[in-house]
Amino acid sequence: MAANEPVLSVKRLEKVYPNGTAALKDASFDIAGAAIHGLIGANGAGKSTLIKILSGAIPASGGEIVWCGERRAWRKPADAAAAGIATIHQHIPLAGTLSVRENVFLASPQPWRESQFERRRFDELLQAVGYDIDPEAIVDDLPIGRRQMVSILQALAADARLLIMDEPTASLSDTERAMVFDTIRRLRDSQGTSILFISHFLDDVLELCQHVTVLRDGVTILNEPRNAIDEQKLITAIVGRDGALGNIDRSMLAHEALEPLLDVNGLSSPGRLNGISLKAKPGEIVGLAGLLGSGRSEILHAILGADARASGAVAIAGQAVGRTIAKAIAAGIILVPEDRNRQALFANESIRWNTSLPNPDPICAMNLFPIPSLEEQRANEIMSAFSVVAPNADVAIGELSGGNAQKVALGRALAANGRVLLLDEPTAGVDIGAKADIRRVIAALAAQGAAVLVVISDFEELLGLCDRVLVVSEGRIIAERRPVDTNEHELMALAGGLAN
Amino acid sequence: MSQITQPQPLAAKTPRWRTRFKSFSLGEAGIYYALALVWIVLTALTILFGVQNFLDPANLANILYQASFVAIIAVPMTLVLISGNFDLSVAATAAISAASVLLLSDEVGIYAAMAISLLAGTLIGLINAAVVQGLGINAFIVTLATMTTFRGVLLIITGGHTASANDREALAPLKWIENGFWVAPNLLWCGGATALVAAALLWWRRRRTAMLISGATGVVLIAAGCFFDASWSLAKPIYYMVAVTAIAWCLTRFTIVGRRLQAVGANPEAARLLGIGINRYRVVPFMLNGLAAAFVGLLFAGRLGAVLPNAMSGMELTVITAAILGGTSLFGGSGSVLKSVTGAVVLYSLVNGFDILGLGTSYQGVIEGVVLIIAAAIYTIGKRGRRG
Repeated sequence: MAANEPVLSVKRLEKVYPNGTAALKDASFDIAGAAIHGLIGANGAGKSTLIKILSGAIPASGGEIVWCGERRAWRKPADAAAAGIATIHQHIPLAGTLSVRENVFLASPQPWRESQFERRRFDELLQAVGYDIDPEAIVDDLPIGRRQMVSILQALAADARLLIMDEPTASLSDTERAMVFDTIRRLRDSQGTSILFISHFLDDVLELCQHVTVLRDGVTILNEPRNAIDEQKLITAIVGRDGALGNIDRSMLAHEALEPLLDVNGLSSPGRLNGISLKAKPGEIVGLAGLLGSGRSEILHAILGADARASGAVAIAGQAVGRTIAKAIAAGIILVPEDRNRQALFANESIRWNTSLPNPDPICAMNLFPIPSLEEQRANEIMSAFSVVAPNADVAIGELSGGNAQKVALGRALAANGRVLLLDEPTAGVDIGAKADIRRVIAALAAQGAAVLVVISDFEELLGLCDRVLVVSEGRIIAERRPVDTNEHELMALAGGLAN
Repeated sequence: MSQITQPQPLAAKTPRWRTRFKSFSLGEAGIYYALALVWIVLTALTILFGVQNFLDPANLANILYQASFVAIIAVPMTLVLISGNFDLSVAATAAISAASVLLLSDEVGIYAAMAISLLAGTLIGLINAAVVQGLGINAFIVTLATMTTFRGVLLIITGGHTASANDREALAPLKWIENGFWVAPNLLWCGGATALVAAALLWWRRRRTAMLISGATGVVLIAAGCFFDASWSLAKPIYYMVAVTAIAWCLTRFTIVGRRLQAVGANPEAARLLGIGINRYRVVPFMLNGLAAAFVGLLFAGRLGAVLPNAMSGMELTVITAAILGGTSLFGGSGSVLKSVTGAVVLYSLVNGFDILGLGTSYQGVIEGVVLIIAAAIYTIGKRGRRG
């Protein structure tokens, strides 16, 4: 088969779930041989459904899939795998207690746990991707970027002709990301593998892909070669309107003269934080810029009192705050943690249940008996303020898409009327439209007099939101900048320890 | 799980009934259907074979009496399981309490002996909790160890012999607690009154349709009670079971305490960051479990007046079986005390039914095992369906 002929053609693919939701209506695109194909779309655009259909996890309800010139319909994931489609899911499903080599050959029919053949094959695979990793390392001990590589090797070991990667860069650092990109390109060039690259990140897609497809509401909106599009065109296609974030005009806010609302003094925690002192005035949005592992999240947790080993003082409006979570919350400190599923939400419970768990006072009789009508009212307010897409407030969090669950977590915290907001990646994983909404709400809460500490990995976004940015590295605050005096490159250099 | 496209939010508001009626699904209410099914089948079989009718009120009272010991412990056990822990030591605790009340009554008097036994049970719960929460060891391991230890302690304090009191007369208060019956007031009136109270609550919650249905039911039942005397003579432990269940059910169903308990079991890290005192919500259920086990120990001593060192061994597993039958998750975060108690009643209905049919107690283990597998299968498949 010639390289310019498509390996996979998706033609007018449709999917209607048993509960009546139409996740895909008219998804059509071709993936060329030896090409990196980008697929992008807002939360709920149908990306996940499409991946599930292509990997054989669920059947389509209409349209056709043409694989290597033949019309096919997989009945189970093994069919798709046998045909040569390997899927790397977002939350990399590896057997954490096994070694790298054992994971890579997990699906192989070889009878022995160890064999010379496997060792040789493993070395070949490493050469093919130009990457080095200890085959006997235990996967649980590896950082997330290396696990991503293990799953790529796993796909390679299965001789995949098409590699579907769902948000492969979502939790990677910059160097890890570059490494993964490098591998993907090498794979395409040396093995002739095609890659379907699904991502939230516009710049990743623009950097890596030769062809880009945009899905919106289950329909292919844009399907063009990389050269024919730019960032603005992509955003318009994804959001359906001109959705540039724009900077929030905060020049009107005169919080210069005010006394600080939040005063953190000498916060230290062995191995994590080293003498963190910072102040935030009412109405001020302070950004913490740092790389993963720099201590940026740990600062927020320590201020909340969630770090039992932390020492130091936290005061709100001059009043010292007790060093327990309950006391901090009572004093008006609210945290939105980074990992929504693990640290904030209860997947099996309804939206209503999740939104009424904290701060029971306004919705409970005698502070003990929750009143369902008030709970529902609060849940509905949060859902409409953040345009959470769900049939009603009694739907379990686990049934929502990631972005929508995120909006619930954030909405719940912001509805609590905290005086000090600690927001860890409040806009990660949500689509551009929702991002703008979230930024607007944060700015509005600040305008009402809250002090906001926010961590956002995307420094451009951080600069657009904050009045002041503190750069964090190795558990210390190493620099302070105003957005007008700096740019994301300088922040990146500072955070990476390159400049002073 | 799946990303769902909802282009028109208005159209999406409709399927409320779906979530409302979820509580009647097999996965949610399976244990009540199981109870109905078991009772219907056993009644049919007893009629068919011409033996004593299974559905005879005296027989049903007997089943409740047999189930009461297990059910009383199953209630706090469910709380322990919801909070994300596990307790294997309850039967050993009950046996310790039973032995110590009999041995101590000669020394310190029966009332002090009862108080000491209850305290000892609570203390054992506290010890379990302290090791589990303080050291962070898995509760299964800890309570397996304490179970073994306390069985050993039991052998030491009884010297391996049957424990009993020398002064049998002094045990009268202990016997009074367990032995004998109280006649329940007209059950139709009880049911009617409950329905009216529920109607008042529903009115307060602005659930008009449900309020009308409940209110009408209450009026009909009370009216019917004027014509039929449905009073029922029940053994005392049944009343304890009902009281314990009612209190725990109201606490978990209607208060934020229940909600937070669930939160602590389902996602401890999230609960912690929301300022919920995890330790408190995990230690107290353990202590209640110890207290309930000790209370059952008193009932056991009151029933028999003498206790063997291996008394009630294996009961901890029956308690946990009842909780699992009721759909309690072993991983924490979900469960219902009412369903656990119903699970205990289902177990003892089967035992009792097979007894009447003359199949003998040897079948008890087989029944328990098979029923457990079926129940677990139904819950697992029910959950899978919800996700699909």
